[in-house]
Amino acid sequence: MSIAIQASTRTDDGPLLELEGVRTHFQTPRGVVRAVDGVSLTLERGRALGIVGESGSGKTILSRSIMGLLPTRGTIRQGSIRFEGREIGGLSRRAMRDVWGKEMAMIFQDPMTSLNPLMKIGAQIAEPLRIHLDMSRSDAWATAERLMNDVRIPAAGRRLRQYPHELSGGMRQRIMIAIAMACGPTLLLADEPTTALDVTVQAQILDLLGEQRRDRNMSLLLVTHDLGVVAGHTDDIGVMYGGKLVEMAPTAELFANMKMPYTEALLQSIPKLADPSHTRLNVIAGRPPDLVNPPVGCRFSPRCPYAQDRCREEEPPLIPTVEDPRHTYACWYPVGSPAYHETKARRQREAEVAA
Amino acid sequence: MRYFLQRMLQFAVVFFLVTFGVMIFMRIGMNKPGDPARTMLGGFVTDQKAAAVNKQYHLNDNVFVQYFYWLAKMFRGDFGISVQQNITVANYMKGRVLVTFFLGFYSLLWALIIAVPVAVYQAYRRDSNFDRAGNLFSFLFVSLPALVLAPVIIQLFVIRWAWFPRISEKVMPWQSLSGHFKNFFLPVVVLTLPLAAIFARLLRADIVQTLQSDFITLASAKGVPPSRVLWTHALRNSLFSLLSSVGVQLGALVGGALVVEQYFSMKGMGALLLTSILSKDLFVVQSVTAIVVAVVSVANLLIDLTYAFIDPRIRHARALT
Repeated sequence: MSIAIQASTRTDDGPLLELEGVRTHFQTPRGVVRAVDGVSLTLERGRALGIVGESGSGKTILSRSIMGLLPTRGTIRQGSIRFEGREIGGLSRRAMRDVWGKEMAMIFQDPMTSLNPLMKIGAQIAEPLRIHLDMSRSDAWATAERLMNDVRIPAAGRRLRQYPHELSGGMRQRIMIAIAMACGPTLLLADEPTTALDVTVQAQILDLLGEQRRDRNMSLLLVTHDLGVVAGHTDDIGVMYGGKLVEMAPTAELFANMKMPYTEALLQSIPKLADPSHTRLNVIAGRPPDLVNPPVGCRFSPRCPYAQDRCREEEPPLIPTVEDPRHTYACWYPVGSPAYHETKARRQREAEVAA
Repeated sequence: MRYFLQRMLQFAVVFFLVTFGVMIFMRIGMNKPGDPARTMLGGFVTDQKAAAVNKQYHLNDNVFVQYFYWLAKMFRGDFGISVQQNITVANYMKGRVLVTFFLGFYSLLWALIIAVPVAVYQAYRRDSNFDRAGNLFSFLFVSLPALVLAPVIIQLFVIRWAWFPRISEKVMPWQSLSGHFKNFFLPVVVLTLPLAAIFARLLRADIVQTLQSDFITLASAKGVPPSRVLWTHALRNSLFSLLSSVGVQLGALVGGALVVEQYFSMKGMGALLLTSILSKDLFVVQSVTAIVVAVVSVANLLIDLTYAFIDPRIRHARALT
């Protein structure tokens, strides 16, 4: 497709997206909410990065910050966001409008409420084409039909003239993907794209996203609370906690060699099929931190089973591991360290005594 | 089709209840034993005349019989006579219908022309000074009915500045456009302001809510300019309270016309209704009510069709039944 080629032959070298100390704070009556509190990361062209964390970890606000799609009043934005080699961190909504939908597109969580109920599907897909690429109505609709074929919607010609309520949730999420793909963006931000869908449909949508990303040489930032979702569909994974990145690594490396007790806890909280039925679910005790008054030291320390005094006093920096410089983590006593084993053994003894 | 039949049945029931109810209440008011005609005609009539009127309109029959005689006549285009003025009701109403029609039409039109852009901009710039001023004014005019507003306006524009005539003559646009404007301006203003205020309040609230929707965020994320987000995506999805309110306010507008025509001495349907109620001119009251019911019902039917026109979900749900 001509549009996709146009987008992928952009000649800028260097990473597609670079974040440096990004902070997004909101002024509220309760105080300043530090939703995103100093995140730095790099996303290379054509790669997929998963951002994982509980609700309230700041992952959604991070994706919105990259997009610049934030409420204007009471929002404090700091740090640098470089996209396609240019600084977009401080741009106004007005200035971002030429980027939105054209170079950077977003897919939302709930396909049931994210489409305009009074507009035909075709018109909704055609809209960005007409705005950004100045297509005529008939060209835009023809392209919309092709996009619907691309996202495997059967009988696209007929569906084009239907309204959102005539389509199922999975179909609507495919439409959302078609809308996002329309102008051939180089970066796709997907915020929990499968959370509202049936499990069987989830896999289809994720596969479709991966396939579209490869076909169009597009980068993907996949935000989710589900480690299982990102496992098979991303090149790298970043784990967020309390508005900060606490661990980041290539996917296989992360699963093989995780350092943060929080990442470990997230993984353990996924129920396993091999477990006998009625096995107690592993939950992370406590609640996500209050982002108005975050805990001193490591933000995970109040909930961390391996926390020591130092964790509650001093904040650990994000440092690379010895084995793999691409693998960074922020922890004083990472998984596998002597202190970790010691505490783990002690916990186990205590549990046995209690039993 | 079934939907349409349903609506027709609804109309018939409403029409019956209102016109029959009006007749009953009018009759209660004039029920001197034995002789409604005498009440209608006033004190100084001969017995023969009273008896003739009673007989002609079956006034001494059972109310149901009476009602159906009236109904049957009306369907043949005979609205009866004004017993007071001794002319046919049709003649009596002729000319007056247009006055009230123009009053209602202009005030509805202007209320919408004012309210829609104001509400859209208020919602877009929520909590701005413009929004606050808009809320203040709409609150002010919602709480100022025509009854209060009219004397204030007359005091200012007629008595103090003498920009407009005291009495609004019934000048039609094809007679003199400037005269038409001059005579209708103030009454229309009195009717428009409260109406515009109600519409603006409703629409603003709905747009504010619609603007929180996911599909609005998606529209922005597609790079759609704010003006298009507002006027195409948000406005269309926010029209429903406004539309149903237009239907309700049409009925209220008749009451407003009644007051305004009185204040500006206009010879319209409202004034006619008021004088004939006071003089117990039964057939005039019944005919005017019948026309008002018919107009309001038809307008509400049109509004319902507009819903379906705007919202495909309503269209499809109706196609299924």
